[in-house]
This record gives sequence, structure tokens and C-alpha cells, in this order.
Amino acid sequence: MLRPWLRQSPRAARSLVGSQCRQPHSSRFPTLPYNYLKSLPVRNLQTSAAESQDRVPLRKQLKQSAKSLKAEKRQKREEEEASRQKWELTVGVEIHAQLNTENKLFSRAPTSSTDLPNSNVALFDLAFPGSQPEFQIPTLLPALRAAIALNCDIQPVSKFDRKHYFYQDQPAGYQITQYYEPFARNGYIDLFSHDGIAPEDGDRIRIGIKQVQLEQDTAKSQEYPPSTQLLDFNRVSHPLIEIITMPQIHNPATAAACVRKIQSILQSCNAVTTGMELGGLRADVNVSIRQRGEAAGTHQYGGIGGLGQRTEIKNLSSFKAVEDAIIAEKNRQISVLESGGVVEGETRGWTIGSTETRKLRGKEGEVDYRYMPDPDLPPLVIGADLVAELRNTLPTPSDELYQLLMSKEYGLSIEDAKPMVELDDGVRLEYYQDVVDLLRDLQQDQDPKSRGGLARVAGNWVLHELGGLLTKADLSWDPTRVPALSLAQIIDFLQRKRITGPTARQVLAMVFDGDARPIPQLLEEESLLLRPLSREEYIALAEDALGQNPPMVEQIRTKNQLGKLGWFVGQMMRTGEKGRVEAPKADAILRELIFGDSPS
Amino acid sequence: MSLLREAERCIANQKSHVSLNAFITALQPSGQWREQARDAELRAQQAQPKSKVDGRLIAIKDNICTRNFPTTCASGILDKFSSPFNATVVEQLERAGAIVAGKTNLDEFGMGSHSINSRFGPVQGVRHGRDAEPFSAGGSSGGSAVAVATDQCYVALGTDTGGSVRLPAAYTGTVGFKPSYGLISRWGVVAYANSLDTVGILGRNTADVRDVFNIVNQHDRRDPTNLSPSSRSRIFSHLQTPSLASRMTKTPLRIGVPIEYNIAELEPSVLHAWLRSLVYLEQQGHSIHPVSLPTTKLALSAYYVLAPAEASSNLAKYDGVRYGTPFEDVDGHKQSQGYLYANTRGHGLGSEVRKRIVLGAFSLSADAMDNYFIQAQRVRRLVQRDFNSIFKAEQPLASHWPDVEPASVKSGVDVIICPTAPSPPPRTSNLMHPDTASSPLDAYVSDVFTVPASLAGLPAVSVPVTGSTNDLDAENGGLTGIQVVGQYGDDELVLKVGELLEGKQL
Repeated sequence: MLRPWLRQSPRAARSLVGSQCRQPHSSRFPTLPYNYLKSLPVRNLQTSAAESQDRVPLRKQLKQSAKSLKAEKRQKREEEEASRQKWELTVGVEIHAQLNTENKLFSRAPTSSTDLPNSNVALFDLAFPGSQPEFQIPTLLPALRAAIALNCDIQPVSKFDRKHYFYQDQPAGYQITQYYEPFARNGYIDLFSHDGIAPEDGDRIRIGIKQVQLEQDTAKSQEYPPSTQLLDFNRVSHPLIEIITMPQIHNPATAAACVRKIQSILQSCNAVTTGMELGGLRADVNVSIRQRGEAAGTHQYGGIGGLGQRTEIKNLSSFKAVEDAIIAEKNRQISVLESGGVVEGETRGWTIGSTETRKLRGKEGEVDYRYMPDPDLPPLVIGADLVAELRNTLPTPSDELYQLLMSKEYGLSIEDAKPMVELDDGVRLEYYQDVVDLLRDLQQDQDPKSRGGLARVAGNWVLHELGGLLTKADLSWDPTRVPALSLAQIIDFLQRKRITGPTARQVLAMVFDGDARPIPQLLEEESLLLRPLSREEYIALAEDALGQNPPMVEQIRTKNQLGKLGWFVGQMMRTGEKGRVEAPKADAILRELIFGDSPS
Repeated sequence: MSLLREAERCIANQKSHVSLNAFITALQPSGQWREQARDAELRAQQAQPKSKVDGRLIAIKDNICTRNFPTTCASGILDKFSSPFNATVVEQLERAGAIVAGKTNLDEFGMGSHSINSRFGPVQGVRHGRDAEPFSAGGSSGGSAVAVATDQCYVALGTDTGGSVRLPAAYTGTVGFKPSYGLISRWGVVAYANSLDTVGILGRNTADVRDVFNIVNQHDRRDPTNLSPSSRSRIFSHLQTPSLASRMTKTPLRIGVPIEYNIAELEPSVLHAWLRSLVYLEQQGHSIHPVSLPTTKLALSAYYVLAPAEASSNLAKYDGVRYGTPFEDVDGHKQSQGYLYANTRGHGLGSEVRKRIVLGAFSLSADAMDNYFIQAQRVRRLVQRDFNSIFKAEQPLASHWPDVEPASVKSGVDVIICPTAPSPPPRTSNLMHPDTASSPLDAYVSDVFTVPASLAGLPAVSVPVTGSTNDLDAENGGLTGIQVVGQYGDDELVLKVGELLEGKQL
């Protein structure tokens, strides 16, 4: 489930696919423009004579363009900062999320959207004359889970209202929603710096949730210009929740982080099936600005007064679109106001990849939805016992898990804690916990100090080593592929220095590829257990290696270029018997031979 | 008379009375009905009838969905519509052996008081003035009432939102019963104003009406406003308490006369029939008590805010995409100037329906909502309180009604008696001709006595009585509809009192 999130968070992405990045060279310069590559002479890597001539301009070119890009960014940042100092942005977000339910909101028709168009529709879904709604109680469960996870007060009595407007994707001429009395109110979410909020918001910011309401989705329409429109009513009346935040967001990045976090909360409590990428989640944003230090604005939204005239940008379908659209709209409003104009209350749209929002309809074209209590639907009465039961069975919130994983007990970094929690719907975390428990058992005889770091080491193996193998093989997570015990044993052997790091990786790969032998037996039969080399054997290997490149030895000795030691260590590993040369020991011997300082 | 012969006679009457325009879709003489009637007759001979309506022809108002007949709601917008399913009431009656006698004419979507707002032409009343001009059949279930009055069917179903069953019953000399809201399923009844819509029954006498009521008075889970089995048993056990149960046997009843109903506009003949009815009941040993329903004066206005508001919402679906015949201009182009919805709705819906949609859209609009829709809902609550304060029986579902005042057992009445309409039926020609047409408000005024029971969801029946023929209204033969209204759930009592008065020469 992190996959959609990963695309938005380079930090976590890097940590997760780190092991992969080390191997292929091509991914090192992902941002290198294609034309630079073209200007690169094809053979220069093989002919050293041409190399020195051609390389310089390329390097220069790269450096210059990087420099100018940096300068551009800096200037932009400064401008942004200047306008931020002058103007305060205020944003509220409305999120529509498709609930994970079997049936539609008011009929027993299935919600599956992949079936043949117009195959999952009951009479009421098509608003047949004489048909009536039948509220499907189970649709309430994911809605309640979501509202509880968003810290809302669940209302004991809520009601359904009709929101009227004509559109072909809505067969009744109105949408049933909860306008006057929603089922949940007064919630909040906490956003942390690791959620990607703007630096200006500090380490943590709390955004209020005004309300959460149940409502129907519309039909899916497909346009075939010039005159054909196809309608698929399978989606009509799919249960949705609309989540309305307070206008308490003041930075575009924080708005995007807010939407991203709400999506991950909804997914972690199993309230929704898909995220933004698959259209299961859509966001609208309300944007207004006011000049700092000036008289307060005259508008009030969600009980917060003193704001400027707001505009609404509808139907944003990615986190990036949320951020970009807010930036564009903020800049538009600033330029309107700075040129003496007035911001009109209107509805605007955003196209991905554009730099400006566009007007959809103005105030005079604004729809009066004529909200009316639905006279067919009784009030929705939600018992406190149901709410309590759901609250007790809700999974632990991600933020609490992060805190736990980052505590002394586990010692993971936030970059590792986040994917550990979010990957594979929590299954990865369970696996990790198994490995840690087993490993702690195996290491009981070790001193407390070395045992303290076990969870961190295990985290590295679960996420990066095992994760890397999965990525390489393009496989999805399967906790039985490498049993938790096998991984714990591999790490145990490694911790006891009975195998080397490379051996441990090799064994992991063997198990990953299907070797089912118990780890001790496998190590025995493949003779992979470390038989330490004697000091003499190390010296022999080291002298051999040093003899291969006396000039480099000289450089190390005279210029103290210790970085070059690694080359010799590599030589020793290569020539020595496989799995027996321990790099730290090889390094120590090399230093001894080069600098002559023997360990006393 | 045998069931088959009775059916044949109804079919023959449908043919001979075709000019009354009571049916939009009549029964085909060649249809299945003959076999069905014959089968029912066999069952009757073996003393094993399915029910009291086994083999009887029952006409269905054309805003109630039927699989085997089109369901037009008398609207141009549904003139080609056929429902894929039967309304629950149709299912229940067919299961009981009844035969659908066709679909009766009405005011478009139930909006009107004279059954003249129909795409298929007005219903003609059964009675005439001295000038041979027919009187109004009443509306909106005028087709059903006329079909009953002229023996084109055994009984008929109508719908009553603000009096649409009771008013035509009063105008045609038939019995028209609107049960408590929520007793009869509305699944398959095309909504006009959901919170007021009630299926009603029209018959030649109360006994026939009761037979049908007993068949359709059942829980239906497909109608979310239909009373649950637990609410039904609560009402039942409430009515079993001795003081209430005894009303159905011998104890003299306390009859209420709402003083506010004696309005200036009341026609002398109607007032006379009302008084004679009260005298008659007193002679039977019942006691008469004046009661006050002060909010009644506001009820009509509240009704004409609430019903159009719900109608504007319910009728939004007829836009030419899923429902509604898309408008084609003279060249057969479907989207003249691209305004599909406006053209479809402008041409498909009649003027009264358009008027109420505009009214409703206005009263729900952001700026008018508080002053109209919300106020009208408050009035509705007050009307309910008025009724609860005069009836001896408590509202049996009272715990769901927070602002109910306790009924005073001493002064409380069992039912109230009042006219169904303030005047005898007007001439249809006067209603239709632009120069003589009275203002639309006049038509609304004819609902003034029926609307309060609708707002409160109470059971009410209109029964025909004949005032003495001492020329007060010789034209109408002194025939007047008298309405009996009871507390919620007191449907049986209301029918019983109606039966006392029904057909009486007073």
C-alpha cells in the first residue's frame, strides 16, 4: 500500500529501494536531460585520448546547468518566501473516498466496478419511478472506522439530505448526502515533518476535521466527441465518505501532506479499497489569501472568521495536483489583488501539468443545491456500543507505530519505520516483529549491549536485503518465501561472526530462491561457515596484493590517501578463499604492512 | 351475480363510459381476466376463495407501477414509460386473486383537485347540473372515483397526498379512504410528496374498502417509510387496551366538531349536511363536542409549500436522459439549441406540474428555505400537536414524537367529523375555460379540510350522505361528502364511524 505513497516521497523511496540503487549505474542521474546524453561522444569511454578532451566541456556543461538550475530555484524560493511573508494562504480540503463495501449505499447491488458496464444496478440506483432507497447497514462500518481513525465524534443521530443538480451522471436529479446532520464531526489529524509538511509548519501541525458525511457516488461517463456520451451506472450510488477539513492549512506542501496522510489513514483502517491513482479518492480545495498585518478579511468558513474571499478548485486527482493547484491559485489571487482587482467567489478547475487554474463557473452560475431532508430515509441511529467495539478493534495508528519503531527498543530511523509500517498492509511489520523476537531468543547468551542493536540490524535485513531481492525478482511480498526463523538464524550467524556479510547475503539469496534446508545444515553442507584465516595467511594475501600496485602503496604511505586501501582489501577478498577473508581484519593487516605500526 | 358476470359487466361499462375518460389504459376485452374470473368463481363455488377480492376487478391509479400496463402518471414525460416491476400493492392484490381492471386517469403526477390536468384529457364527472354540464370528478384520483361510481370496476386504488382520494369520493358519491401514513406500502407508487403520499382505496361502500385495506395493510421492507412489524404490534396492543377496544363495540363515541372548520366559504348545502350528520350521530346515542384545531388555518399554506418542495425534488429525474421522452423539434432534432433538459421538461410536463416545481424549487432555494420550507415544517408539527391535544387516544408511536402533549382523557374525542370539501363540485367546463376559469387558488381551497389529516398522517374517510332535498342544493341532489378523521392507527374506528353515516338520507 505504500507504492502510491512512494512515488510522492523520494526519501522513503530511496531508503526502500536503496539496495537496488547500488547496482545499476544508469539510475544515478535520473534527472539528466536526454540531450546531454546525446551530446556525449559514443566512444569516448574506450579511447582515453579523446576522453580528456571531450569530458571537460560535458562536465562544465553539467556543472553550469546545475548551477543555473540552483540559482533559479533559489530565486524562486526567495520570491515564494517574500510573497509568503506578505500574504497568508488559507486552505481547506474536501476529500471524497470510495468506501470498501460489498453493496451500494441504498441497494443490494454489488459495488464491483470492473464488471460489464451497467450490470450492477438495482431499480433505485437508476432512480426508477416508484423505487425507494434501502440503506445498507454494512456500508456504515468502513465509514465509522474512517471517522474514528480521524478522531471524530460519532453522532448518535444523523440524517440524509438531497443535493439537487442536473447532470447526466446522476439519474435521480439529486445526490443523497448528509448536509445538515453528518454522522461524524470535530475530528483532527496530526501531520509531522516526516509526513512531508512544509518546513514553515515546524515539526508537527494539527488540522481539524469539520465533518465526515456519507453520500452516493455518481455514474461514470465517457465522452465520445462530437455527440456521444456513454454512461456506466455500475458506479452510481457506490458509498462515499466526504471528509471536510477546517481551513487551517497555510502551505501548499502541507495541504498535499494532509491529503496523503488522510489517504494512508483510510487505507490502514481498511475503509477504502483504492487510492487517488485509481480514482478511489478525489480532492477539492478551498483557497483564500489575506495580507498579513492588514485588517482581517470579512469571510468566514467552517467557523473560522477573518478570511479572504475563497475559490474552490474541484476534482484534484493526485497529491502533486493538490500542491501545484494551490500554488497556482494562490499566485493568481495575489496578482489579482496586487493589481487592484477583487477575487471572485467561484469554482475553478485544474489540469495536470498546467500552471494556471481555470474558471469553471462564477458566482452567477453557482448552483443552488436546494438541500432538502430526504423524506424516504429515516434518521441514522448509531449505537455507542458499535462505536466502542469498532474503536477497540481498529489497528494501531501509524504514528504510534512509528514512535514505537523509532524508540530505543527498535532504533529504526523514520525512513525505515515508515515503509515498515505501510508496506504490504502491515504484513511486513508482522514479519519483522517475528524476526526480531526469534533473533532476540537466539542471542540470549550475548551481552546486553550487542543485543540492543538487534532490532535495527533486523530492520535492515527485512527492508533492504530481503526487499532488494523482491524488487530485483519483481515479486510481491510473501512472508513464507524466507521464513522468519531462517532470516533470524542468518543474522544470528552473522552477529556471531561465524559467517561474513557477503556469505549472509548469499545464503539469504539461496533461501529466497527455494533452498529449503535449515540454515545450520545449509551452512555446513556448503562449507560456508567462516574458518578464520591465520595471521600468516592474511599477511601472505596482503603482501601479494600490495605487490600488484606499488605506486598506489606509495601514495597511501606518503600522501595518507587511506581511501585507496579499499582497493587492496578488495584484492585480498578476491584472491583469498571465498567467504573466509574478513574485511576489517584485512584492512588492519594492510595498514600494519604499509605504515609498519604493529598492533601491540 | 357470478364473478364472471360481474367482471363482464365492468368491462361492458368501461366501453360504454369511455367518454368519461376514467381510464388511461383500460382492460382489453380479449385479455386474461376472463380465465382469472372463471378460476376465482370455481374457488368460490368450492368455498375456497383466496380472499374477499378473489376474482374482482380492481382499477389502479396510473401513478402506481404495473408490469402489464404502461404507467404514465398522466404526464407527457412518461407517455411511453412502462415499469419493469409491480408496485407492492398490486402484487398483494393479485396474490389475493384480484384482477387489475386497468389504469385510471388522474391529475398529472397527482397534482390537482379536479382530474383535469392530464395529458390524456380531463376526467368527466358522473353528475350533471341542470344545464347538463358535468361536475368535476374531483382529483387527483378522479379516474378511480368515476370508475367506481359507474361500475367500471369493483373497487379502485388511488393515492392521497392532500386529499386526492377523499375529494373525488366526495364529488362522485363514493367512499374514499386514506389510511394512516405508513400502513400501506408505497414501493412502486410514483412519488409526488413522499412524506404525505398515501395509497388510498375507493369503493361503493365502506365494507368493500375495508376488505381491500385488510389485504394491503402489511409491512413491506422495500418501503423505508412503511411501519415495521414491531411498530405495528405496538399499535395493535395499544388498541387492545380496554378503554380503546371498547370503542369498537357498544360504548357511545365522543364525536369532535372542529369549530375552525365552520368557515365563511362553507356552502350552505355542505353546512346543512354536516349538521344533519351530527344530529344523526347524536340520535344514535353518541355525544357531540366542539373542539379547537387552531393551526388548521395555516395547514393549507404549509401543505402548498411542502408538497411542491418534495415534488420539485422527486420530479428532477424526468430530464430526458433516463426518464422522460426527449423533446424533438419540428425537424425531429432532439437537442434543439442544446437545451435537452429545459426543452424536455418544458414540453413534457404540464403547466400545473411546472408551476409546482418552480414553487418547490423556490421554497428550497438558499435564500427562501428558512422562511418557507422550515416554517412550513414547523406548522406541520403544530398541526400534529393540535390533533394530539383533542383525541382521547394517544399517538401510539408517541415516544418518537418528542413534542407531543399528553391527551386529556376527559375531554378527548374519539373521532372528528367535518365536511370533506367546503363546496359541492364545480362544473368542469368552468374550470377549463380560460375566461370563466377561477384562480388556481380556488382549486387549492377545495383541499382545505383534507390537508390537515395528511400533514398529521392520520386516517380519514369520506363517505357520501344525502341532505334533505329541501332545495338547498337541488342541483347536486344534496349529495355531500362527510369526512371522519381519527387518531393515528385508529383506521378501523374511522371506517366504523364512516359506515354509520354512509349513504344516509338525512
